[in-house]
Order: sequence, then C-alpha cells, then structure tokens
Amino acid sequence: MNYVFQFNVVWDHFPELLAGAWLTIELSATAMALGLCLAVICAYGKSAGPPAIRWLVAGYVELIRNTPFLVQIFIFYFSLPVIGIRLTANTPALVGAYASEIVRAGIDAIPQGQVEAARALGLKRLQIFRFIIIFPALKTVYPALASQFILLMLSSSVVSTISAVELTAITNSLQSTTFRSFEFYFVATGLYLVMSLGFRASLSAIYWAVFERGRTA
Amino acid sequence: MRMCVRAFALVMLIALPAMLGGQPLRAESTLDKVLKEKKLRVAIDVGNPPFGILDKDGQPDGSDVAVARQMAKDMGVELEFVQVPSTGRIPSLLAGRADVTIASISVTTDRAKAVMYCHPNGALSIVIFGPKSTAIAAPADLVGKRIGITRATLEEATVPKMAPQGSNIVWFDEIGATIQALLSGQVDAVAMTSFAGKTVADGNPDKQIETKLTVTTAFYAPIVRHGDFELREWINTWIFLNTQNGTLAAIYKKYTGIDLPPLPVF
Repeated sequence: MNYVFQFNVVWDHFPELLAGAWLTIELSATAMALGLCLAVICAYGKSAGPPAIRWLVAGYVELIRNTPFLVQIFIFYFSLPVIGIRLTANTPALVGAYASEIVRAGIDAIPQGQVEAARALGLKRLQIFRFIIIFPALKTVYPALASQFILLMLSSSVVSTISAVELTAITNSLQSTTFRSFEFYFVATGLYLVMSLGFRASLSAIYWAVFERGRTA
Repeated sequence: MRMCVRAFALVMLIALPAMLGGQPLRAESTLDKVLKEKKLRVAIDVGNPPFGILDKDGQPDGSDVAVARQMAKDMGVELEFVQVPSTGRIPSLLAGRADVTIASISVTTDRAKAVMYCHPNGALSIVIFGPKSTAIAAPADLVGKRIGITRATLEEATVPKMAPQGSNIVWFDEIGATIQALLSGQVDAVAMTSFAGKTVADGNPDKQIETKLTVTTAFYAPIVRHGDFELREWINTWIFLNTQNGTLAAIYKKYTGIDLPPLPVF
C-alpha cells in the first residue's frame, strides 16, 4: 500500500503538542522530586527505623513495585472518589517506591565501619544519616536513579488514560480528529526522545553541581 | 528510422512480458485479495455497547459484530476480527491491519478526508447524561461542570463545539473509562450514544442516571481505505440487499431495542 505523509497538519498543531510536552516535563519533574524525597524517607525508615516502621515501609514498597502502574492509577483515580477523595488526573504520587529500593541499595553499600567511626566522633543520628550515609549513598546509586527517572518520564504517558492532558493524550486527541496518526506519533516519539536526552543532560548537570563541583577526588 | 526502431524495441521490451505472461494490467484490489485469500479482516470496537461488546464467554457480540458476520457469510469468506479501541478504528484501517472497519462510525466530512464511507447501516444519537442530582437542562448549564467524553468518537467532534465557554471537558481513551469516571464521581456528566447511556443507567439503578441533552443524531457506516472502490461497491450492494430483505432492521432491533429508521444512501 502507498501512504502519503502529510506533516503540515502536525506543524499546524505543533503548539498544542509542545503544551502537552511541557505538562509531561512538569509531571515528571514533580514526580522525580517527590519520589526522591519519599525514597530517602523510606530508605531511612527501612534501614534505621523501629521494626513497625520497617514493616510499613517494606509493605508499601513491595505493594507498589509488584503491581502494574496502570492498575494503581485506576485505583487512585476511579476508586478513591468513592470514599470521598477526588484527586485530579495530574497527581503523580506513586513513584517513590521504585526509587526507594535503589536508595536503600546505596545505603547498604556504606561500610558499617564508617557509621561506627562517625558515632565515635560524637555525631548525632541525623548528622550521621545526612553526611555519612545518604550523601555518599546517593552518589553511588546516582546512575541507577537517573535511569529510573528517565523511565518515570516515559511511563508518565500512561496517565493519559485518566484524562491528564500530557503529550500522549494530546497526540491521541489530535490523531483522532485529523486521522494523520503516523505523522503525529512520529513527531511525539521525537519529542519524547528530545525530552529524555534533555532530562539526562539535566541530571548529569545536577550530579556535577552536587557531587563534584569544588571537591577534589 | 533507426530512432523509430529503437523506440519500438523499447516499447515491446516493456509491454511484452505483460502480454505474454497474461498478467492483469491493473493492480490487485483489496476485494481481489479478500476473495483470493478467502478471508475478510474487519476492525471492530468491542467496548461500545450495544454495537460492539464481549459476551459472557469473551466472544465479540453486538450489532456491528452481527453485521460483520452476516457480511462475511454472504461473501463466502472466513471472518477475522481485528479488535481495536475507539481511537484505533481509523488508524488500524489505514495501517492495513483490516480491510474494512464496521464500528458504528458516524458519517462526518472530517473523517471522509481520511477514509471512504459505504452506505449507512444504522443511526445513533449522542446524548449527555448524568445523575438526577446534577442539574443540566440546557447547554448553558454545562458551565462549571466536568463533562467526560471519549476520544475519536462523534461526541468528541460535537460536544466541545456545543459546550459554552467555562464548561470543563475531560477526555478519556475508552468508553469504559468514561463510564467509570461518571460512576466514580470524577465527572459530573458524560456524553455518549443514547444506547450506551441506557446500558449504564439500567446497570446502575442506584445512581439515578438520566438523559439531560441530545447533542446530535447521525447515521453510521462501514469505512474502507481511499481507493478501495471495488470493496466499497460490494459492501453497498450488500447493504442494499439486506435493507430490502430486512436483515439489517432485524439486527438493529435485536441489539438496540428500537426500530431502524429509513437508511439514506449517498
């Protein structure tokens, strides 16, 4: 069969696609920041908290990591309103669990001797966690965290099913009204690629600014 | 003279294989291919009651499905269903995954830019419905309300145009998700076919769901790819005969519960 590509339709709607891409970036950046905070809290709770907290965190992490993302967002979006909680479609809050296992791996990699040394020097518990544990731990697992965050950005396309108007949703709407599906999906793919590379570059820059600037190896 | 001979030789070189080999000079049409392979691939949407649904055994059912079954039977070929969501009804046809889409696609000029319509084989109304407690009596009442619609449907083409400034339209990928959004209270009202609305209302009597507004009434028709005139003509012939003998009316009545209105042709 021969198909005539018509990209001019796509350029007519390019501002809408860019608006969708911007929402994807906003959602992903928010989810990354929240996810990292949640991951650090969970990792702290799991490695240093009392047994009850440990069980709670372990349960949360296993529940989120071992169930499909799509089912989770359906539960959040369609089931919670039944008990009176009406979240908007743009609420991305389920991601902490994925990052928390990575952060915990980094914490496990810190030699116990360092923590004991810090304790011997009279550092307080929170100081130990901040300077001796979490900072080097995050540095160790940073590449794994960064690729987890890129995956997070790509999986944000799933929230289009619950009416968030990010890039995939806009693309779907445009292709369903213009019927130029090949063209729109090609351009959307290109935009996702650009965003991935952009996030990768930003994350590298953050690594440099936080862990390398002004430090001698 | 020499030029003439050369030109003649060139023409013969191109034409001879076709003449000797007995190859047809026109390309094989989709109808040729269907008849040769003895298989008709029909794209259907089984998430759109009562036109396309899955029965309790997980098998496709509904008025579109019944039409497709009868059509393939009368053509004397095997039927292969290509199940697509509402957003995939036109793309799957354009991508060559199906030969024809029979999925209650209402006739619009925008869609005709991408595909060719056969004659209509049914009619539907798009209505806005919601719980009794939600007050909507005129389009102006939509202001400030969240109205759920499904992508790639007639409601997507009509509701945003009739809804006044200030109404909040929420898009979903599948009718199932739109219905779920209404039942869970994520939206105040939804727009879809009157039949789907009735199914939802009957299935959830406790929600007291009622029809608020009729957005539009339209005829729907099977679609084929641009250029597939032979297949389109065969389907039109089939629709003509089955309008005459009452088969289409019987299928429509069985699944929608109402009488098939007189079908126009174009």
